[in-house]
Amino acid sequence: MKKQAWLLSVMLILAMFLAACSGGGTTSTEKKDPEKEEAAGSDEPAQGGDMVIGTTGNPTSFNGLYSSDATSSDVEGFMFETLVGSDLEFNPSVDNGLAEEVVAAEDGLTYTVKITDKAKFHDGEPLTADDVVFTYNIPLSDEYDGPRKSYFEAVKSVEKVDDYTVKFNMSKVDAQFPVVGLGFSILPEHILGEVPIADLGEHEFNTKNPIGSGPFKFEEWKDGEYVKLVANTDYWDEGPYLDTVTFKIVPDANAMLAQLQAGDIDFYSGIAQPDVPAVEGFADSVGLRLESGLALSYTFLGFNQRMDMFKDVNVRQAITHAIDRESIVTNVMAGLGEVAHVPESPLSWAYNKDVPTFDYDVEKAKEMLTAAGWTPGSDGILEKDGERFSFELKTNQGNKVREDITVILQQQLKEVGIEVKPQIVEFSSLIADIDPGVWNFEGIVLGWSLGTDPDPSGIFHTKEIEEGLNFTGYSNPELDKLMDESLQELDKEKRKEMIGKVQVGLAEDQAYSFLYYPEEFRAVPAGLQGYEFHAKNSYYNPNKWWIKQD
Amino acid sequence: MISYIIRRTLMAIPLLFGITILSFAIVQAAPGGPTSMMMDPTMKPSDREKFEEKYGLNDPVHIQYIKWLGNMVKGDFGDSLIKRGTPVSELIMNRLPNTLILMIASTILAAVIAIPFGIYSAMRPYTKADNAITITSFLGVATPNFWFGLLLIMFLSVKLGWFPTGGVATLNADFSIWDRLHHLILPAIVLATADMAALTRYTRSSMLEVLHQDYIRTAKSKGFKEKRVVLKHGLRNGLIPIITIFGLMLPSFIGGAAITEKVFAWPGIGQLFIDSAFQRDYPVIMALTVVSAVFVVIGNLLADILYAIFDPRIEY
Repeated sequence: MKKQAWLLSVMLILAMFLAACSGGGTTSTEKKDPEKEEAAGSDEPAQGGDMVIGTTGNPTSFNGLYSSDATSSDVEGFMFETLVGSDLEFNPSVDNGLAEEVVAAEDGLTYTVKITDKAKFHDGEPLTADDVVFTYNIPLSDEYDGPRKSYFEAVKSVEKVDDYTVKFNMSKVDAQFPVVGLGFSILPEHILGEVPIADLGEHEFNTKNPIGSGPFKFEEWKDGEYVKLVANTDYWDEGPYLDTVTFKIVPDANAMLAQLQAGDIDFYSGIAQPDVPAVEGFADSVGLRLESGLALSYTFLGFNQRMDMFKDVNVRQAITHAIDRESIVTNVMAGLGEVAHVPESPLSWAYNKDVPTFDYDVEKAKEMLTAAGWTPGSDGILEKDGERFSFELKTNQGNKVREDITVILQQQLKEVGIEVKPQIVEFSSLIADIDPGVWNFEGIVLGWSLGTDPDPSGIFHTKEIEEGLNFTGYSNPELDKLMDESLQELDKEKRKEMIGKVQVGLAEDQAYSFLYYPEEFRAVPAGLQGYEFHAKNSYYNPNKWWIKQD
Repeated sequence: MISYIIRRTLMAIPLLFGITILSFAIVQAAPGGPTSMMMDPTMKPSDREKFEEKYGLNDPVHIQYIKWLGNMVKGDFGDSLIKRGTPVSELIMNRLPNTLILMIASTILAAVIAIPFGIYSAMRPYTKADNAITITSFLGVATPNFWFGLLLIMFLSVKLGWFPTGGVATLNADFSIWDRLHHLILPAIVLATADMAALTRYTRSSMLEVLHQDYIRTAKSKGFKEKRVVLKHGLRNGLIPIITIFGLMLPSFIGGAAITEKVFAWPGIGQLFIDSAFQRDYPVIMALTVVSAVFVVIGNLLADILYAIFDPRIEY
């Protein structure tokens, strides 16, 4: 027994030593003044340089119609181009896409897209309307077995008008289409045209020899090690300036930080909030700087609203009153986030800040619960009709922040007499638990990454309960109607107003207890120029990136 | 001897068969499936069904098993469901050399250090040196791999810059043996630490027992030098149990290094196993299960054979 205690203390000391090591202190070779950097930012871009980007995930396939993991999409963004890109406010933009012009018909039932005649695939073949028609006909086919079909539900057909013009015929108005639907990578018909669509998902193009029209070309993928891309010197638009970009796979987040500190990784966009101070500590000495901004996502506490205790809107509001969200942000997130009130990011054009809020107020929460008929039982836990107010709170294993939040919620809700039993579940199992028809959860802490389009119906519409993502079973017919109408509205201002009303309704109903919007941190080379912080895309316009040497 | 090996191999077949049934059932019983990890949230259940139908995931479990078994017997482990179009055998063969190199290096390292220490400990039991070795080996057993690995990375790689922080080779560099060895050292040390500790303890206790035998005393009283008595007469008998340990260590070659591999970004089998388990990539999980089951059988067989070689009393 004594020996164990002794061992434990040695471990603790060594752990402190480890922490001290990570606090920086390597000999500083060069100090960089960020302001001076910016002032000099108008310099001419310099050619050359290699960049190593760290990623914790293993990619699966470099074909945007079949891959669904983040690492694969990130790599695709360097190699492929889409018809339209996105600007920093998440509006569709032709500035970083193949399209020169997108004309929507008055009735919203056709889109005519004129593309550049300069783009070429990496094998030298020109990219034409045929390639666009080919690409979009894949998910429209019944033979298609990839995960992206639902994006094209409103598309009736795609036709070639001339060599560089394509027309999309819609079966119904879809306000999301120009943002989401036109954002898919264009594939080469001359390579894949003969392949049966049923076999495309397994084709070696996806893993061994992807060819796109983007600023970087595929060079090599070593499974579990790296994906290497080289500059496409024939790129039709600006750049690229970097010679090579290598995605290095480092599955462990702590090891990733060590590699960052050792200078083995130049760019990493997944720094967890609690690790930010440490990275800030060593960034300067290893020639890195931090780019940060609000992430396009939110974290929430969801309830299984099929359960009696969560059916009452007053109870849901009371729960939110009982949660000190400020303290969650301060203590769990190192203060790097903002309290959320609606399921939309403040970064979005459709964000409505005038919604009912339910601030931290334990007394009020208690009153509301009493008014709803919940009275303290012998053990201090609320009871109503013989049922104790006690529920299991699930979250996924491996996400330290969420694991901590479940414990904090357990403490905070205990104050008002609600018993919370945290349960940490492996991610795949958790996802299976919220599948339609399964709904094996009571409370859940999760986050949604938001799309560039602000449509909330995919998560809160009644029709999404049986088939889609509305796993909490939330239903409000009035809001359903508003959401349907907003998807038919092509005028942006009017649509914004409608979505704003939906947000008010969702906040009033506390469809979830919205917790916070996290702030996101990316470590990039201190000399990186031409980089803009896009909340949805860590690797935004990589053709414009260049490294300033000094 | 030959007939014994054949008998043992034949006996292994029903065993392997049972292992595959059991693991197939367990893997299928885990909640979720390959499509639940296709994380496009807009994917409709009807689209998932199309995928599941194509790969036969909707069939009853026993039908799936029979199909899988039929292909497996022919040596076809199928294609990955996540990295679609890639044969499972290719995924495994890409990674197996990395794992084998790491495991062999760490095992040799562990044996080379642990056995002499164990012998020394046994020769001078309850002395200061023995106690120091004992304490060190307990420390080794108690040290979690991921923590020790990170500690080494932080100190030796980041702070002092003596070793690379991870991977099997320097990025964008030409192949060189020295570079590979340089990358191998830290993960091999971390993996060896736990094995080393255990091996030292086993060697010590086994040798202690042997050194108290009558024939050792006889040899000593004949006036042989201690070194000769211990190494020639003691060691051969003392090492027999250690052979069993090595035999049992062999199967851990497949999955045992997963955590170390993760910390050192070492692209080996262990990581593949974990990734495919999380992604419910059934064909990969099953193939790796079969491979490690085969390793268990081989490991045991090897231990038995080595027994017969080292211990003249044993005959098959």
